[in-house]
Amino acid sequence: MTNGALQGVKVLDLTHHISGPYCTKLLADFGAEVVKVERPEGDPARAMPPLINDQPGPDNSLLFLYLNTSKLGVTLNLKSDRGREMVRELARQSDILVENFSPRVMPSLGLDYQSLKELNPSLVQVSISNFGQTGPYRDYKAADIIEYALGGLMYIFGENKREPLIHALHQAQFRAGTNAAGGALMALYHQRRTGEGQHVDVSVQECVASGLRDAVDIYTYTGAVRHRAPEASGDMRRMRKASDGYLLPTPSLAPNLNWPDIVEFFDAPELDDDKFNTPTARLVNTEELGQILDRIFLTKKKAEMFYAAQKRRFIFGMIQSPEEVLVDEQLESRGYFVDIDHPVAGTLKYPGPPYLTSGPPWQARRPAPTLGQHNEDVLGQRLGHSGDDLARMRAAEVI
Amino acid sequence: MPGPLEGVRILEMGQLIAIPWSIKMLADMGAQVIRLESCQRLEVYRRSTLYRDKVDGEYWNRGGLFYEHNRNKLGITLNLADETGRAVLRDLVAISDVFAENFTPRVIKNFQLEYEDLRKIRPDIIMVSSTGYGFTGPWANFGATGPSTEGASGLAFMTGYKDGPPVQPEIPYADYTGGEITVFAIMAALMHRMRTGEGQFIDVSQAQATSSTVPEALMDYAVNGRIAPRIGNGHPSMAPHGCYPCQGADRWITIAAQDDRQWQALCRVLDKQEWLQDGRFASMAGRLQHQDELDRLVGEATKDREPHQLMHQLQAEGVAAGAVLDTKNVLFNEHLKDRKFYQVVDHDPSTEMPPLPYAGQPWKFSATPNVPNKAAPTMGEHNRLILGELLCRTDEELSDLEEQGVIGYAPTTIVEPPIQPPLDEQVRQGRVQRFDLDFQEQIARHFDIN
Repeated sequence: MTNGALQGVKVLDLTHHISGPYCTKLLADFGAEVVKVERPEGDPARAMPPLINDQPGPDNSLLFLYLNTSKLGVTLNLKSDRGREMVRELARQSDILVENFSPRVMPSLGLDYQSLKELNPSLVQVSISNFGQTGPYRDYKAADIIEYALGGLMYIFGENKREPLIHALHQAQFRAGTNAAGGALMALYHQRRTGEGQHVDVSVQECVASGLRDAVDIYTYTGAVRHRAPEASGDMRRMRKASDGYLLPTPSLAPNLNWPDIVEFFDAPELDDDKFNTPTARLVNTEELGQILDRIFLTKKKAEMFYAAQKRRFIFGMIQSPEEVLVDEQLESRGYFVDIDHPVAGTLKYPGPPYLTSGPPWQARRPAPTLGQHNEDVLGQRLGHSGDDLARMRAAEVI
Repeated sequence: MPGPLEGVRILEMGQLIAIPWSIKMLADMGAQVIRLESCQRLEVYRRSTLYRDKVDGEYWNRGGLFYEHNRNKLGITLNLADETGRAVLRDLVAISDVFAENFTPRVIKNFQLEYEDLRKIRPDIIMVSSTGYGFTGPWANFGATGPSTEGASGLAFMTGYKDGPPVQPEIPYADYTGGEITVFAIMAALMHRMRTGEGQFIDVSQAQATSSTVPEALMDYAVNGRIAPRIGNGHPSMAPHGCYPCQGADRWITIAAQDDRQWQALCRVLDKQEWLQDGRFASMAGRLQHQDELDRLVGEATKDREPHQLMHQLQAEGVAAGAVLDTKNVLFNEHLKDRKFYQVVDHDPSTEMPPLPYAGQPWKFSATPNVPNKAAPTMGEHNRLILGELLCRTDEELSDLEEQGVIGYAPTTIVEPPIQPPLDEQVRQGRVQRFDLDFQEQIARHFDIN
């Protein structure tokens, strides 16, 4: 095992579900020592589908297996005094504490930032929550769909005349996890130079709202409320259906693209018309242009057009299914998918490094922990509790 | 108060979103950012979303997309086709901790700005390249946009209405997922350099970064050979879970009833006690099985309700619910206002633009908050500051550089940006839902702008 970029960084991970675990996974896969604390019955993500062969079991959730690589796992009952005492002991020797409880929980456990700061003034505490630690919606309940709605992304997502839409899967959670990891390291950078810790408050709603391109600026700049794009649109960048899949054509980033090139590439003389040959004309005749483009694309094959366009430096993309992603020649050349062996789940194919680097590389240092796998290592050896102590805590259902 | 990244200097050769957004986040937190531009090749975002759609005069200093992604940066224009311009760039590399760019590898090679080139100038430099598909590999030089990398990642394929085609949001989404991982990568590299003194080359593929956020779909295929169908706003283990019509034009509410208790509360708030007697809906399994019928019923019950009011009523009963905020309502949202998420930024007087609110950061730091905001630079705004104060060029040398066209203050070729159709025509086309003629007054009132 090689050292990572974050070697020597100690992380106390009180997270569950997705956003927090993705944050600490990023830290762990790049070399931080992460101790994941689970409740004795386990992180609820252990039951999240999809499961291996649809079989229930604490080590069968593909999401959980992915989200918890490279971490040490201990179990602690935070409802017990002894469990909370152990958390305080771990916090005392950690650089970063990450948690994603709802904002009332940590204070109710006596683990609010002010108390932890007294124990360890250089602690960076990262709290990820639906709407942040303050404000009128602080205690509101959420799911990805709620975050998309209140973060402004949903309204501009979907068909013009239908209900707004969200991304599949758990995007808001993953984005919060990534932002939290970046924020954690900014605070750690400051801590390493000054010794000062702090509380970093990450809001999932704000993660969504911080990346809306110019959707809000269109209002502040012109007073217009941007809508979901209409069906028939000559926007050259609109997704279009090919004979065997979907293409994402962007002939050029510049609005003044060379129209004769487009006419030639599409082999479509009907586009050679004053109605379409300037950017302004295309905005006026957008519906007619959209219909013509729809007809043209239906005669093309997805991958053929993608490669042909790239050859001419037209910025075309294509929509790939998970099956296609798994054999994508680009990802393969970058060594993206990795096999990881887990004592219960066996050897499975996992998505690997989110980016490549010439520095210390991404590495899944160990598979996701089984429940309480490192209780002895961490609570015994690291915190110095004896075997008898641990046995007593087990009997009292603290671990 | 200095931000946590006080003392870090970043040289940015970015365009559009992926790198500019990431570096803006670092600038907000106190890094000094020098953003490189070209008068010979105008940044596309300087000519998009122009203030009040005015295309005359120095329109390149009124581009909303540029302001959105480049706050708190210093700006310098440099002609890199000119050897003198490249020499200035090398001098800037020598005093920078990080060099960040999002051009294709072909361009970077042509300008001799690869990591090996930069290391000769500054051995501990951290270089970050953000490309659609990665700096290496057979697709390295393929051009990409947010939609195409989201398309390649597997995310877009999974997303869409039930039985419909894939759907993407109206923004280049994967630029942001790629941008967020870039912030992390730069910070991890800075931590490593602090400990070891070593720099590194970071190769971000926006598609790969986005694939990393859909592991369950990729592993479901790898392990189970299965691709889950597109289910719109549905959820595999929760019902009702969706977006329902409300009173008014294009108003909606989202509801996710996470358990029996939330379901019962939902029935009460919607005044539909009879649903509690319906055996089909008695358990989550039953509600999932009959979710189409359930969605229809919930939609019937919400369609005459006001979405914000209904959201507050549902949340008061512990039901996860959220009004679908349009692009105006998100700006004016009471919770985001309380958290000061949108931040008012002053513009240079020459732009004749009033102070305007822009999206803030996804985090709040208790000890070292984000720095006081300064608008994105006008073209060449900090040429003299950067060349004079940082690189110690004399006034005479500066004048020479201006005369030779190495630095400048306006694009060398002025092409009028496309003229947007009038707003009522955009409403007819469906691109715009509605518009306010008094938007300026409404914004000034909400954000206390004088």
